[in-house]
Amino acid sequence: MRDRSREAAGFSRRRLLTTGLGALGVVGAGRLALAAPAAESRGGDVLAAPVGGSAEPSAIPWLDKNGSHNQSPGPGMDPSNIFHFKGRIARANDFEGTGKDGQGNPLAWGAPSTDFSFIEATYWPTSRIERRGIFSHL
Amino acid sequence: MIAANGLYWMADVPAGALSVAEDGRKATLKLTGVAVIDQPRWPAPDAEARRARLDVTVVWTATDEPVTIDDPAKQFRFKGWKATAQAEARVEVPSLGFTWRSDPLATSRARFGVIGEEANGRYYAA
Repeated sequence: MRDRSREAAGFSRRRLLTTGLGALGVVGAGRLALAAPAAESRGGDVLAAPVGGSAEPSAIPWLDKNGSHNQSPGPGMDPSNIFHFKGRIARANDFEGTGKDGQGNPLAWGAPSTDFSFIEATYWPTSRIERRGIFSHL
Repeated sequence: MIAANGLYWMADVPAGALSVAEDGRKATLKLTGVAVIDQPRWPAPDAEARRARLDVTVVWTATDEPVTIDDPAKQFRFKGWKATAQAEARVEVPSLGFTWRSDPLATSRARFGVIGEEANGRYYAA
């Protein structure tokens, strides 16, 4: 009998691995989920600063083929996914490698979209209060 | 996951997870237990996703080939080197009972990599 749940899992595995972890998206957490407080809970007509904007880094303005604020790394391309920053950065893509699933079956990984970076930066968020942070594009 | 403000697949890096050599020519990023999603039908806007976790180590090492880019139209300036990059990772998708682990770092390679310093946007003209 064919095990459809295993087939479904296999499909995910292939996407996960042959499209190179590129099918993995990061879940917002920590600083990236932090919005600048507007102090609305105090009541009254006065809003404590900072008012409006966000403490999150801004996305690059450039769009990829899917309409996302992203661009593939390459010669002459901006390696950053964050705009309004200065600092250290590294990026690499088009990885290839080998690996195994939990049952010990060989599963290669990597594709042009397998793309990692770090950004250690001073950045200018929409709250207009300069901040520092370390981020990674995964 | 794409953030509400459009920031694309970025994660916070906790203190101690990134080490960069004093001369800026080598960096090691080691992240564990990063909350990610497995989204097989990406980039379909209606693609469902499953919660997943990722451990990943990436090492960038500068080559002796310098890279300088100054793009006034896109307001970014990068100065650094081409880099080799290697990675190892472990992925877990609990709802599928799926795990996967790469072979050690040394068995991987990337066809493109850079490491250096950049300024863009507001900081480009500074």
